[in-house]
Amino acid sequence: MGKRVYLGMSGGVDSSLSAALLLEQGYDVKAVYMRNWSRDLPGFKCTWAEDLADAERVCVTLGLDLEVWDCEREYKQTVVDYLVDSYAHGLTPNPDVMCNQTVKFGTFADRAFAEGADYVATGHYARAVADPADPAGATTRLMRAADEHKDQTYFLWRVPRDIFARTLFPVGGIASKAEVRAMCAERGLGVERKPDSDGICFVGEVGIRTFLLDTLERRAGDIVDWETGAVLGRHDGAFLFTVGQRKGLNLGGGPARYVVRTDVEKNIVYATANRDCPALWTSSMDLADVHLVAEDLPEGDYLVRTRHTGELRRAHVTLTPSAEHSQAPCAEASAASCQQAGLAARIDFAEPLRTVAPGQSAVIYDGLRCMGGGIIQRPCD
Amino acid sequence: MPYDATDASPTAPAAAPGRPAPHTCYLDYAAATPMAPEALEAMLPYLSERFCNPSAPYALARAAKADFEDARARLAHVIGARPDNVTLTAGATEANNLAFAAVDGPVLTVATEHESTLRVAEAREHAFVPVSPEGLVDPAEVARALTPQTQLVSISLANGEIGCVQPIRRIAQVVRSERMRRLEAGQKCPLLLHTDASQAAGNVSVNVSTLGADLVTLSAAKVYGPKQVGLLWAADGVELRPLTLGGGQERGVRSGTENVAGVVAFARALELAEELRPQESRRLAMLRDGLQGRIMAAFPWAWVSGPRSGKSRLPGLMHVSFPGLEARRLVILLERVGVCVGTGSACAASKMRVSHVLRAVGVPDDVAAGSLRITLGRPTTAEDVDYAARAICDAVRQEAGRLGIDPATGRKDVI
Repeated sequence: MGKRVYLGMSGGVDSSLSAALLLEQGYDVKAVYMRNWSRDLPGFKCTWAEDLADAERVCVTLGLDLEVWDCEREYKQTVVDYLVDSYAHGLTPNPDVMCNQTVKFGTFADRAFAEGADYVATGHYARAVADPADPAGATTRLMRAADEHKDQTYFLWRVPRDIFARTLFPVGGIASKAEVRAMCAERGLGVERKPDSDGICFVGEVGIRTFLLDTLERRAGDIVDWETGAVLGRHDGAFLFTVGQRKGLNLGGGPARYVVRTDVEKNIVYATANRDCPALWTSSMDLADVHLVAEDLPEGDYLVRTRHTGELRRAHVTLTPSAEHSQAPCAEASAASCQQAGLAARIDFAEPLRTVAPGQSAVIYDGLRCMGGGIIQRPCD
Repeated sequence: MPYDATDASPTAPAAAPGRPAPHTCYLDYAAATPMAPEALEAMLPYLSERFCNPSAPYALARAAKADFEDARARLAHVIGARPDNVTLTAGATEANNLAFAAVDGPVLTVATEHESTLRVAEAREHAFVPVSPEGLVDPAEVARALTPQTQLVSISLANGEIGCVQPIRRIAQVVRSERMRRLEAGQKCPLLLHTDASQAAGNVSVNVSTLGADLVTLSAAKVYGPKQVGLLWAADGVELRPLTLGGGQERGVRSGTENVAGVVAFARALELAEELRPQESRRLAMLRDGLQGRIMAAFPWAWVSGPRSGKSRLPGLMHVSFPGLEARRLVILLERVGVCVGTGSACAASKMRVSHVLRAVGVPDDVAAGSLRITLGRPTTAEDVDYAARAICDAVRQEAGRLGIDPATGRKDVI
């Protein structure tokens, strides 16, 4: 028997092919379905039972055992509550980043290693590569996937660094999703036609709005013109709006307007009809709650991505001790994101970009290598 | 078609999903039945040229109305009833809901009932009559569980998961004597007996005067008719109260434009089921006994749930548990070779919950997890059963082997 691998299986295309590939490579594979969320929401039926059934079909085809691990409590505490709390504070979080940190590479990995796993594996599009300068393999680099269109390192920046040496990403080296689907079909796994599931898994098709309104109360407030201060209309809760958002303002005709800023304390949404409004553009940002995947991050020029598979932009990155940084101006944001801050960072982009909603992740790359990331702070003006 | 064991092997993706299985052997007739060709043929004209709304005033519509009423009369005739006592519904679930709506007070039922009865019962004051380990209700227990306030007793004629056929006639006697007692005592509280005979129709008699119940549910979907068509029979003097308000169809009890096509097909299907019942129930019982013999000879450690006596058991149903195995995996292995079986009631299976029926009859959860419900039907042949028996034995051996369970003894190998 080969080395023992615990594989997180979702019933999707990527983890299904991962199972087949690991077996072909001679690993002793144990498949685990993490049940993170099983509650139905208004107008949306959670698909967990169907997903589990798909995972089970693949496992039976491959002669693998499938265990269901109940991770609902951890998921609720570290992902769902974080998500709702962040929105309530006017931030736009990436719940998948938290899920990878606390559930997939937290609860799941901890239990797998405690049960004697040599490796954990997932169907993520990413690569864990031994550091060529360190033949002992103690340090492992996180690299973007071979398929740049599917790369998921944006969601992996908070994963504890030492896990990558014991992590396998079987599909991370495959050139395209089409190839992944073809390889599934070749092996008769029966999942090759399942649609991609990008986005927050448990929110699924229901949309974040329905999800938030399940927990948070609507609250009527003004939509205010950013330039003139004139009241343009009413909204039903500033926490429901995100910087840069265009749809859903319901101002009844007129020019397209963009959300420039939200103030959840005063319950005001600021909007502008001017696409070139300076507040919609930025050339620098502050990160808090910075986590490094690499051993360190010397000050210098890097590539920075501010959304999943978004453009990689040239930027100068400077690490700063958090104490000096997350001061009063960011106090609002701190409840949700600055709390466990160890490090902060300053990013100066070579060229201006559209303002990114506070609460989102900025992830730093050196070439193909993911160095780490942080949570984007509200501009302190 | 010869059974090819290599198809069941995990290394041979010959019958992987998306590719045609070598042989299709559907053995889940308690979940759904294909429409009888006669019933399908009967309904088709009402989907096209005879589409009229039966409430409309012109001749074409009156013809549709007449055909609809003729179908009602034929349905009534099959169950030994008068047409006026038959209310047509969109299936058995609605009929069960309607039956409960006839009373306001506490209800008495059993924990092994179908969800459409349990959920309605749970919405009001309710109590359960215990069942035996075979799933049978003792009429004496019904007498014990009745209180002076009980207004409705609801017990299915046949259970669709483990196949027990309840002694409804004797339960009806208990209900009648309680009614008599209340009358003598000058108590005005009504008491009705409802039985859901959906799973029983075509297998045992559903003649309403023989059953002795006050309310009887039937479904077209279980007797080779269309889905979403059913009826509730109510005895004289039982007043039904509508759950669906509108144009006042079905004497105001069930508004909504009549499903002429569905009801015409239901009538033909039920007539046919009743006509074929004597020979079909014998034939299915023989096939089922053969299948059970094969499986139990191979795996003497397997459990069969439901009554031992053939008289109290649906003829085409076999519920078998393989302790230590996971039924969901067996179902996947079997579908690979074209054999479709259930893991219990399809409604519960889709939610991945342990069957409430098995819990109620005292099957431990780990045994319940390895349960298959195999139901034979009108199209099932001896060849199908032979093919399925071999496929089931192979699947069980394969899964047992994977888990280190000795297929001969059911015990985990000790090394």
